[in-house]
Amino acid sequence: MSNKVENDTGGQLGSLIVSAVFVIVGVVTLYDSLSYSDIDSKVFPRAAAIVLIVCSMLSIVGSLLRPVREPGFGRGAWWRRILLVVSMLAACLAMPQLGFLPAGFIAFGGTLMASMHDRWTIQAAAVFLTSSILIMVGFYSLFRFVLNVPLP
Amino acid sequence: MLKSKFFKGLMAAAIMSVAGSASAELNGSVSYIIPFGPGGESDISARLQQPFFKEKFGQDLIVSYQPGGGGAVGWASLNGLNGDGQTIMGVNLPHIIIKPAQKEVGFTTEGLNTFHMFHYTPDAIVVATDSPYQSLQDLIDDARDNPGKVTLSGSGKASANHLAQIKFDKMAEIRTTYVPFKGTGAAVTALLGNQVKAEWGYTTVGAQQGEAVRLLAVAMQERHPLFPEVPTFKELGFDMVGGAYRGIALPDSASDETTQMWSDMISEINADPAFRQKMLDGGFAMLDIDKAKMADFMQKLTDEYLGDAREAGLID
Amino acid sequence: MDAGSFLSALTPLNIAFAFFGVVAGTVIGSIPGLTATMAVAVLVPITFSMEPASALILLGAIYTGAIYGGAYAAILLNTPGTPSAIATTFDGYPMAQRGEGDLAVALACFASVFGGLVGALALLFLAPPLSRVALAFGPVEYFWLAIFGLSLIASLSTGNLLKGLAGGAFGLILSTVGVAEISADIRLTFGSQTMIGGFGVVGALIGLYCIPVLIDLAATPDRHLSIETGVQSVRVGEAARVAMRSKFNLLRSSIIGTLVGILPGAGGSVAGLVAYSEARRSARPEQRFGEGEPDGIIATEAANNATVGGGFIPTLVLGIPGTPPDAVILGALLVQGVRTGPGLFQSGGGSIAYTFIYGLIIATLLMLPVGLLIGRYAYKSIVAIPKAMLVPSVGFMTLIGTFAIRNSVSDVIIMIGLGVFGWVVSRFGFAASPIVLGLILGPIAEQGFVQTWIIGSATENLPGMFFGRPISQAIVAFTLLSLMYPVFAARRRRRAGVDRGAGS
Repeated sequence: MSNKVENDTGGQLGSLIVSAVFVIVGVVTLYDSLSYSDIDSKVFPRAAAIVLIVCSMLSIVGSLLRPVREPGFGRGAWWRRILLVVSMLAACLAMPQLGFLPAGFIAFGGTLMASMHDRWTIQAAAVFLTSSILIMVGFYSLFRFVLNVPLP
Repeated sequence: MLKSKFFKGLMAAAIMSVAGSASAELNGSVSYIIPFGPGGESDISARLQQPFFKEKFGQDLIVSYQPGGGGAVGWASLNGLNGDGQTIMGVNLPHIIIKPAQKEVGFTTEGLNTFHMFHYTPDAIVVATDSPYQSLQDLIDDARDNPGKVTLSGSGKASANHLAQIKFDKMAEIRTTYVPFKGTGAAVTALLGNQVKAEWGYTTVGAQQGEAVRLLAVAMQERHPLFPEVPTFKELGFDMVGGAYRGIALPDSASDETTQMWSDMISEINADPAFRQKMLDGGFAMLDIDKAKMADFMQKLTDEYLGDAREAGLID
Repeated sequence: MDAGSFLSALTPLNIAFAFFGVVAGTVIGSIPGLTATMAVAVLVPITFSMEPASALILLGAIYTGAIYGGAYAAILLNTPGTPSAIATTFDGYPMAQRGEGDLAVALACFASVFGGLVGALALLFLAPPLSRVALAFGPVEYFWLAIFGLSLIASLSTGNLLKGLAGGAFGLILSTVGVAEISADIRLTFGSQTMIGGFGVVGALIGLYCIPVLIDLAATPDRHLSIETGVQSVRVGEAARVAMRSKFNLLRSSIIGTLVGILPGAGGSVAGLVAYSEARRSARPEQRFGEGEPDGIIATEAANNATVGGGFIPTLVLGIPGTPPDAVILGALLVQGVRTGPGLFQSGGGSIAYTFIYGLIIATLLMLPVGLLIGRYAYKSIVAIPKAMLVPSVGFMTLIGTFAIRNSVSDVIIMIGLGVFGWVVSRFGFAASPIVLGLILGPIAEQGFVQTWIIGSATENLPGMFFGRPISQAIVAFTLLSLMYPVFAARRRRRAGVDRGAGS
């Protein structure tokens, strides 16, 4: 938003890349449908794949002719985004070994770091630690004991 | 929490020692996973078992649903679960035989620790009450005069209903059109709405729909007590006995004792006259294949289903 | 319909059950991943030891509360708490972002209560005749209904139609992944077993709607929702006025919701989308749907709560569950020895069906105070909670909620992956909503198409099957109207602009 020109070009390129990815998805779907033995399972994915390919191609052509103004990735800290996603994924991978609560702690801690924009103080850390433990244990008990979900 | 668990454990132990049936024991409530959505035959029969289990063994049987991939998601995850006897999962034939034969689905028929088959829903041809077909012969005649034009709905493809349709067409030397729906409920809705001329369903459809439908024939050795006026296929000269069979499996890490304990417990519920009556009223047919009889039973049905499916071109 | 069953619904115990059910349902529905189906399934064993009518009231109250509760997360976090609330995000979140979350929550409550009442009254007075709707809808009608739902993409993506259509087609392809429902193939899994179950709708919703919000929230220090100076409490009076002004929209959406609820193959999400689409089609020129238009929330919430009563119509009359929670309740009824059928509605005095329906009406009315209270609390806490606490709490909720759908870690990984993908593509004009529409409507469209094709070929009347039936013709007509909407809207806006220009 602040540096508009730069974002516009990013949006243009990204738009082209995403459209190209969708074309590939369509082609892969068509290829996969060759292996189906039942005619009933072929018709629909093929139709959808053709629509996808045509629309994505037209979108590529359109954005080449008339540059689009998509927001692009915009401002914002990449390390925060990546930390958020990675900590959640790490929690999933650790879940079978560590159990749900310890794994959840990884995700909670990571996302907390990622979204903490104020200054860290001892007091804030203490408050956050207590409330995160409360929230996690609360949800865990709700699912585990009230709703009988077999959490690892 | 701990205390009540301890007492529950004690109670279970006391019950088990009185029954004197096995050395393994239950320790708290049991999770009973149905690998389909709610409302189907698997769900209803599990719900029927629920109160009897609580009454006999003092523990809660908690039914949960894990739908996906026509049951494959649940069965593929079964052997990764804890084998301490606190988790069991419903299994269905022909699903667990046909699916792994078609493609890699993450489980094999032999890999599932199936310890009891407690009922089956016999195949049946169902028509709406206002249908012109009064008997099975009417349907066969219509199909002879108009090959391919008689449409029958059914649940899924390469399923019990679909295999029954293929088998019956061959026996009666007719050609009908099978229209697959997602689940028995949708297939019955299509029948009642006159979207199709008949349905390949089960005896349970007759029990649930009551006067709205008429069964033309059932695939049982003898007539179902709930429908004494409906002939069997055998009486009419077609050697068709079968349907969809349902049982229960444990993770393969479960010990022999645990498996035996579960087999005995399900047998005990199955032996209860009140339970049998409820099942029959629901249109189910009882089956008492326990752990000891399982291997022979599975072998026989595997040969039968795979043979049918191969002939029908559903598997290579 | 007599006083006896009304009074037996009014026993203190039954009212207490209705109250507890609405509160529990609202809370459960507001948590993404916890669905009404799951809540009802967990409670079924408890009801075995209860009177059938009380058990039904409890289950029905939870169900209706959960459908309403889905709106909170939709409005305040852009994440539908239940699939029924998808269309609530379209206008609810923009409203919340500009500081009108309190108004949106109150509107959702009024609309839900109104819709719930219309559905329940239809169940009370018209159940046997209306149950025929369920039977009149054959495969081809479902196919066209799905296409109608997909046509909403056209009006959702004004100015970016190609990208919207591409997203929709991508969603359709996603919906085919895994073991095919009605054909004998396993599609697009590339030999991997994690994909065999396909993309679950609830998990995909959480991923596509919630993860992008979290990513954006974490990346910037801006406030989550802007607050107006001097935060009011929930603006009940203003909401009531807005709702009154839209009484026609309320009524139309409630009727749509009731009718779609009766269809066993559709459900609350489709009802909300159809009602939203209709509200948008008949919008006044100055209304801006998709940018925080109150009528969008009203339409969706009235329709999805109307499906509760509507869904019980085929469940109780035909023994065919209208929605998944209905299927659980039907199973519980069978175990209790209650036989469904038209007889339930004829036996007169003290019948279970009527006691239950009155109980459902009471529960719906209780939703008004309960919903406003919980809504006020939810709004205030979401606004007040610091970002560094909000993001991890919601993130943790998505993990546990997605896991709970079918107790699978790979579902959680798929959810996160889909979320990151959705975030990236949305940054380049491919919005999440067309993908979700494709994912939800894909199976309905595919099954309807395949079945229609099979029946049409068998009877040698394909064109007649697809275009010859009156209900399908009506749906096709509405679809065409909806597709031409962007053209109309542009023209109307231009004309309105001209008028205003002339007036000033």
